Amino acid sequence: MRIIGETNIPFLSYRKIALTLSALVIAAGLAYELLGPGLNLGIDFVGGTQVTIKFREEPDLGELREAISHLTSGTPLIQRFDEAEKHEILIRVENPAGKEGDFTRPILELLHQDFNSEIADRFDLNTQGSKELLDLLVAADPDGMGGDAEARETYYRPMADAVLEHRKKTGIFDSTAELANIEDLSESTRAYLENTAVVGAFSVLGAESVGPSVGADLQKKAMLAIGFSLVGMLIYIWIRFQLPYAVGAVVALFHDVLITLTAISVTHREINLPTVAALLTLVGYSVNDTVVVFDRVRENLRLRRGEDLEPVMDLSINQTLSRTLITSGTTLVVVLSLYIFGGDVINTFAFVLLVGIIVGTYSSVFVASPVALAMNKVLVWRRERRRLKGRR
Amino acid sequence: MDSKILWRIILILAVVAVSVWSLYPPGEKIHYGLDLSGGIHLVLQVRTDDAIKAELDDSAQRLVSRAREEGLQLTQGESNVDDLSFTVKVPADADAAALRELADKWVPGYNVSPGVGVWTFRLPPNMDRTVRDMAVRSSLETIWNRVDQFGVAEPVIQRQGLESDRILVQLPGVDDPARVKDLISSTAFLEFQEVVAGPAPDRQSLLAGVGGVLPSDSEILPGDREGLDGQVIGVDYYLLKKAAIISGQELRSARRSQDQYGQPVVNFSTQPHAADKFAQYTGSHIGTRMAIVLDHKVISAPSIESRIPGDGRITGSFTIEDAEDLALKLRAGALPATIVYLEERTVGPSLGRDSVVRGVRAAVAGLLAVMIFMLVYYRLSGLNANVALILNIIILLGAMAYFGATLTLPGIAGVILTIGMAVDANVLIFERIREELAVGKTVRAAIDTGFARAFGTILDANLTTLIAALFLFNFGTGPVKGFAVTLSIGILASVFTAVFVSRTLYMIVMVGRERVESLSI
Repeated sequence: MRIIGETNIPFLSYRKIALTLSALVIAAGLAYELLGPGLNLGIDFVGGTQVTIKFREEPDLGELREAISHLTSGTPLIQRFDEAEKHEILIRVENPAGKEGDFTRPILELLHQDFNSEIADRFDLNTQGSKELLDLLVAADPDGMGGDAEARETYYRPMADAVLEHRKKTGIFDSTAELANIEDLSESTRAYLENTAVVGAFSVLGAESVGPSVGADLQKKAMLAIGFSLVGMLIYIWIRFQLPYAVGAVVALFHDVLITLTAISVTHREINLPTVAALLTLVGYSVNDTVVVFDRVRENLRLRRGEDLEPVMDLSINQTLSRTLITSGTTLVVVLSLYIFGGDVINTFAFVLLVGIIVGTYSSVFVASPVALAMNKVLVWRRERRRLKGRR
Repeated sequence: MDSKILWRIILILAVVAVSVWSLYPPGEKIHYGLDLSGGIHLVLQVRTDDAIKAELDDSAQRLVSRAREEGLQLTQGESNVDDLSFTVKVPADADAAALRELADKWVPGYNVSPGVGVWTFRLPPNMDRTVRDMAVRSSLETIWNRVDQFGVAEPVIQRQGLESDRILVQLPGVDDPARVKDLISSTAFLEFQEVVAGPAPDRQSLLAGVGGVLPSDSEILPGDREGLDGQVIGVDYYLLKKAAIISGQELRSARRSQDQYGQPVVNFSTQPHAADKFAQYTGSHIGTRMAIVLDHKVISAPSIESRIPGDGRITGSFTIEDAEDLALKLRAGALPATIVYLEERTVGPSLGRDSVVRGVRAAVAGLLAVMIFMLVYYRLSGLNANVALILNIIILLGAMAYFGATLTLPGIAGVILTIGMAVDANVLIFERIREELAVGKTVRAAIDTGFARAFGTILDANLTTLIAALFLFNFGTGPVKGFAVTLSIGILASVFTAVFVSRTLYMIVMVGRERVESLSI
C-alpha cells in the first residue's frame, strides 16, 4: 500500500508564503503573550499552593471560593478537575509574598471547618491516614485482644491498611456502609468503626506547595535546559552537516517552541515541569524530522555534483515526504491516544506534543530547509565577495 | 552466512531473555515514582543562621562565665549573625593578656578585636562553614531518626548537593502528610515529665501500684538500665504523667560542666518564658524524680534537689562521657536550626492509580493503532516492524527494571511516545528499500542498500533526540527525570530493534532461497 507515490512538489518555491505565515503566527503569539494575558506559569515556576480535593457530593463552588479567598491576597483559582461526576476540584492559591512554609495545611484546615463542621472530633475515614487509624484501633481494641500495644499493632495493622487501601481504590468513602466491602476487617472492628468513625465531605487527592525560591530555581533550570539543548543540537548538526543546516534546524526549533507556547497560552493551559519536558521532547522530535531531510540533501548533493542547492533540496524533501508523513502519523496517533485516554494529569503534556508534532513536521519542510538555503546563499555570497576582494 | 544468522539470533534471544528476566515479575521489578504510587516529596531548608546564632550565644556565654570564675567581670553583649560576631563588655581595668588567654582557651578559633570597653569576637569563615555544615548534617540525622519511626519502605532522605542547606525527603506510600510534616519539623521530642513510680523491672509491677489500671493521664515508658560501668544491662520502666513539665522546645541549651567538687554535671538553661513554670514546679517537687524523655524513651530520671530557676543542673554519678552524652542528647532532641518547607508535593494514591490505568489504556490503544497501520501499509514487512516494536517495549521495560529506574507518569508518556517514534527507524528503512526496488534492484540488493543507507540517517536523527533527552535528565527532578530516562532507553532500544532485529528477520526469511523474486513491503 502507498499513501503518496512519487511526488514532485516545488516546496521551496512556497517559502516566502510559508515563512511570512510563520512569522505572522509567531508575532501574533508573542504579542498575545507579552501584551495580553501572557503565559500561565504553574506553581512549579512561580510558587504557590495547589490542592486537589475529591468531594462526596458536588460542592458549592461559590461557597468554596468565598471560604478560600480569606486565605490569600490574590484571587484563588478554583476549577473542576477531571470529569464532572467525580466531584474533583482543584484549588490553587498564591503563597503569601516572600514566605516559605507549610501552606497546604491552612487550606485543608479551612476546608475542614467549612465542610466537616458537624463531625467535630470524630474519626474521619476520608482524611485520616493509616497510622492514625491504627492508633485508634490499638487504643480502642474492639476485638478485645489485650496484650501490649505492640502485639495489638501487629494484629490491627492489616485491617487499617485494608481500610486505606479501599480509599485508595475509590478515592473517597461515600458512607460507612462501604466498610462492609472490606474483607480483611473483623466483624467487631467493622461494627466499631461504623459506630465511631464518620465519612467527611471530602478527601485529599493531592497537594503541592512550591516556595518562591524553588520556583525561581526551577524556572532558571528550565530555561537553561531548553537553551543548552538548542545549542547542543546546533553544534551537533554543525559538525555532522554544515553551518547553514545547523542554523536552519535551530531556527525551525525556535519556530516550533514559540508556536507551541502560543497554542498553550491561547488555550489557557498551565506551564509546569511536565509541560517543559514535553517542549524538550518536541525539540528532540522536530530536529529528528529535520535531520532526516538534511541527511537526504547531503546524500543527493554527493550524487549530483554541480547542481544548485534549491532543486536538490526540493527533490530530497519529496523523496522523504512519505516517511515524514508516516512517522508523524504514527507518532500523532499514539499522542492522540494519550490526549484522549491519558486523563487530566497528562492532558497538557499530550496537548503540547500534539501541537508540536504538527508544527514540527511543517517546520522541517517549510522552515528548516528554506532557512538553510538562505543561509547558504549568504555564505556563498560572502565567500564570493572575499575572493573578489582578494583578486583586487 | 548461516552461522552469522545464528549468532544474530542468539544475541537477540539473549537480550530478550535478560530483559524478561530482569522484568519478571513486573509488579515487583518496576518501581513506581511518587506520582504513581502516592507519597510525599518534601524539600526542606535548614535555616543555618539559627545554628550560627546559637554558636555565637553559647561562645559568648561560655567566655563570660569562665572569665567570672577567674575574677574577670565581663558582660555579654550582642551577637550579630550577619557579621558572624559577638561582643563582650570589658571593664576598663581588665587585664588584656589574661582575657586573651581565656579567649584562646574557651572560644578557640575566634578572631579577637580588642576595643575600648567592648571586645569583638568574630567567627572565621571556615568555622562558619563547619557550623552550618554540622547543622545540616545533624538535622539530616535527626530527620532520619524521626522518619524511621514511621516505618516507610525505601525512604529517600538526602542533602541536595554537598554544600547545600536543602534536604530532600521522599516517602513513597505515606498517606498522612500532615503527620509527617509535624514529625519532621517539630522542634523537639524531648520532654521533662513527672515520675509517678519507677524505675521498675516490668510494666506489671508499676501497674500493680496504681490498682492494675493505667490512669488516663499517665503512661509507661521504657528506659535503659545501666550497670555501674555505664553499660546497658536491661530495661527499666517508669510510670510517668503524660503532661510535660517542659518540652525540648522550651530548652535553650545544655552543656557538660563540673560542680564545685569537680564532678561532671550537665548544665542546661530554659527559654525565658518557661523559666517561671519550671521554677515553680521544681520548687514544689523537691525530692521527687523527674524523667528526661527523648523520643518516647526515658534517658535519665534524676531527682530534683532544689528549686530550679532558668538555669538547671543535672547531677548524678556521671563519668565525663556520660555527661557529654546526656548534654548531647538534650541538645539533639531539638533540631539545631529551624526548618522551612520550600517544596511539598503530596500525591494521593488514588490519583496515581488512576493515572496508571489511564496511561496503560492510552499505551495499548496507541500500540494497536500503530501495529495495524504498519501491517496494512507494509504487509509482511510491517509484521517484521511489529515484532521489532514489541521487542523494543520489552527491552525498554527490562532495562528500566534492571537499572532500577522509576516509572513516573511522564515516564509512561515516554513509553507511549517511544512506541510512536520507534517505528520511525523501520519506516526509514522500508521507504528506502521501496525506493531501491523501484529503481530495479534485486530484493537482496534492495534490502542491503536500504539498511545501509538508512542507518546513517537513523543514527543522526536519534543522536539529536538523545541530546534533548540528556538535557532533560540534567534539568529535571523526579517525574521529569523518569521521563528522560525512559525516552533515552527507548531511543537506544529502537535503534537496536529496527536496525539489528529487523535485519535478522529478513535474513531468516531469505535463508535457503536461491533467488527472491518479490518482497512483501
